[in-house]
Amino acid sequence: MDELRNHVKEMLANGTVAAVIGYKEAGSPMRTKPVIITAPEEAILLVFNEYCLNNLAVYLTKARVKNLARVNGTIKKLGIVAKPCDVHAVIALIQESQLKREDVYIISFNCNGVVKDYGETLTGETIASKCLHCDARQPLYHDKVFGELKDLPASPDEELAKIKSFDDMTSQERFEYFKNEFDKCIKCYACRAACPMCYCTQCITDKTIPRWVESSAHGRGNFSWNLIRAFHLSARCVGCGECERACPMDIPLSLINRKMLEVAKNDFAYLSGRNLETPTLVGSFDVKDKEEFIL
Amino acid sequence: MEEKIINRENLNKLCRDIIDGGNILIAPGKTEYTVIKDTSEIILDAGSKPTKASYKNYAFPKAEPVIYYKKDKNDIELIDIDIKGKKTVILGAKPCDSNSFDILSKVFNWDYKDDFFNMRVKNFIVIGMMCEFADKYCFCTSVGLSPVSEKGSDIFLIPLDENNFAVRIITDKGKEFMESYGKYLTEGNPEKAKAKTEAGKSSAKMPEKVFNSEEVRKWLGKNFEHPFWDGIGDVCLSCAQCAFVCPVCHCFDIVDEDYSYEEGRRMKNWDGCQFGHFTLHASGHNPRDIQGKRYRQRINHKFKYYVDKFGEILCTGCGRCSRGCPVSIDIKEIVSDTVKN
Ligand code: SF4
Ligand code: SF4
Ligand code: SF4
Ligand code: SF4
Ligand code: SF4
Repeated sequence: MDELRNHVKEMLANGTVAAVIGYKEAGSPMRTKPVIITAPEEAILLVFNEYCLNNLAVYLTKARVKNLARVNGTIKKLGIVAKPCDVHAVIALIQESQLKREDVYIISFNCNGVVKDYGETLTGETIASKCLHCDARQPLYHDKVFGELKDLPASPDEELAKIKSFDDMTSQERFEYFKNEFDKCIKCYACRAACPMCYCTQCITDKTIPRWVESSAHGRGNFSWNLIRAFHLSARCVGCGECERACPMDIPLSLINRKMLEVAKNDFAYLSGRNLETPTLVGSFDVKDKEEFIL
Repeated sequence: MEEKIINRENLNKLCRDIIDGGNILIAPGKTEYTVIKDTSEIILDAGSKPTKASYKNYAFPKAEPVIYYKKDKNDIELIDIDIKGKKTVILGAKPCDSNSFDILSKVFNWDYKDDFFNMRVKNFIVIGMMCEFADKYCFCTSVGLSPVSEKGSDIFLIPLDENNFAVRIITDKGKEFMESYGKYLTEGNPEKAKAKTEAGKSSAKMPEKVFNSEEVRKWLGKNFEHPFWDGIGDVCLSCAQCAFVCPVCHCFDIVDEDYSYEEGRRMKNWDGCQFGHFTLHASGHNPRDIQGKRYRQRINHKFKYYVDKFGEILCTGCGRCSRGCPVSIDIKEIVSDTVKN
């Protein structure tokens, strides 16, 4: 922790970064919250541990945060404390031209996993499901990295088993399953707010002329909302799981996202936010692309 | 005030009677208060955490039609909704939930009387229960309630031991309701129930009082412009998790939904003051253009405006908004911090 704090302090003091988005303790050592600091002496607040659940890349596209980087007419770097999986979101934002690599200073960690929920000790049972199939516990891109890799607590990948089981269902059964889940949705849009890839300044669901998605949180309105979000995030979602964690109604959004990730990975050998040199999957075309999924 | 005793077995029978009588029975589940179809689904535990969402949707649904319409070339026909409402019994409401309809009734009956809300509330029987849970997000004691508060309950349960509950009849509505279930009750032991609530008040499960709401109200009146709000706003993500899970947040939006060129309905849907477009004017101007201003509105509405207008704090201290906030913004901490600035 001292390494992190000292480094951030130095980077703020010598002007390398204008601000740093990081985590600080939130009322208990087993919960953290985002914090945005601009003064070197605030670096003492920062922590990094298995309770750093937020994907802080969500702040990189916010106007007021971006403004912090505008100092005396020049654009300085924004520092971000990012788990290796959060780095994927930073990279995906760069791939989608929302950010320039040189405008962000990535402070990452060799990561030993995070918990599903605050207040729990990290074990095979409490580990976040994304960590069980993590493909990059060492950051793919960084400007500074801390920490040493240790073994992760082992646990079966139940999420994958669950999405595999959908393949065996009839479309009617699948429909029923998601209908029951989406019925619970209250349209609080916390999933959208927590998602680093949901950065549109005007979301399609907020458009009223014309109204594409009914704003009512009834069966039809919820189906259109959750499906349109799934479409808009397919092959863009980085699998950070923040939408599901933010959902107050316990809707298993990760099942949808994971399925989309599996399709992009298996059919197109593409994972969002892994490579700065490749164009995005939805933003590129290859004659060899499979098209058997087109109905 | 009458007091009786009911054991779990009889309480189960009573619940079965409620369901068999064609009424709606609601009890806390894991995520939300759910409609009970079979009494085996009921988990009545005073030590349980408040559900993630409150039960306000049973009186103020997340989306409800208020009128249907038919259009032809020259005319519009309006078809009223037949608001009948069914008797709905809530079993095991926590004191930080049971008071919510009384608080909400103020705004839903202020200038316009909201028949939809009133009709449902009229049909409600609230069976509250003493609470034996507390975590760092609870602060009912700072907003004039407590884990043993009977406010808003028609009937109040106090767990005496594993198997028995004291049944306190609080309102006439509660009394009338219980009349048909007298066979399930035995003589009360008010001394024992009182000992239990007194013990509850001094136990470690009693949330500590962390702010003086009157001081907070005064501070808010003087500090509309304060950098305090900007700091919170920069972290807050502008969702409506906090408003939608809250037992007393009540903003709604009216929208028309056409089914076809000829028919449609007008909906009353939940809305939230933390959304960026909540106050966006048609001109493009937005008086609450940054999140700090929106968060300020949230706190002012709850701890100043509603108090000034209706004499009630628009918050029951349930802590739901904080428990569920994706970025761990803790309303208890924020309200306590206001006066320190
Ligand atoms: S998914 Fe990987 S990088 Fe992300 S928190 Fe889990 S172990 Fe760390
Ligand atoms: S859709 Fe969910 S899992 Fe995917 S990037 Fe957004 S918040 Fe993360
Ligand atoms: S967070 Fe959950 S309840 Fe809220 S809009 Fe998203 S899916 Fe619906
Ligand atoms: S306080 Fe939390 S729950 Fe409320 S709008 Fe902000 S981020 Fe969402
Ligand atoms: S503002 Fe938060 S603590 Fe207060 S009643 Fe609403 S959800 Fe509960």
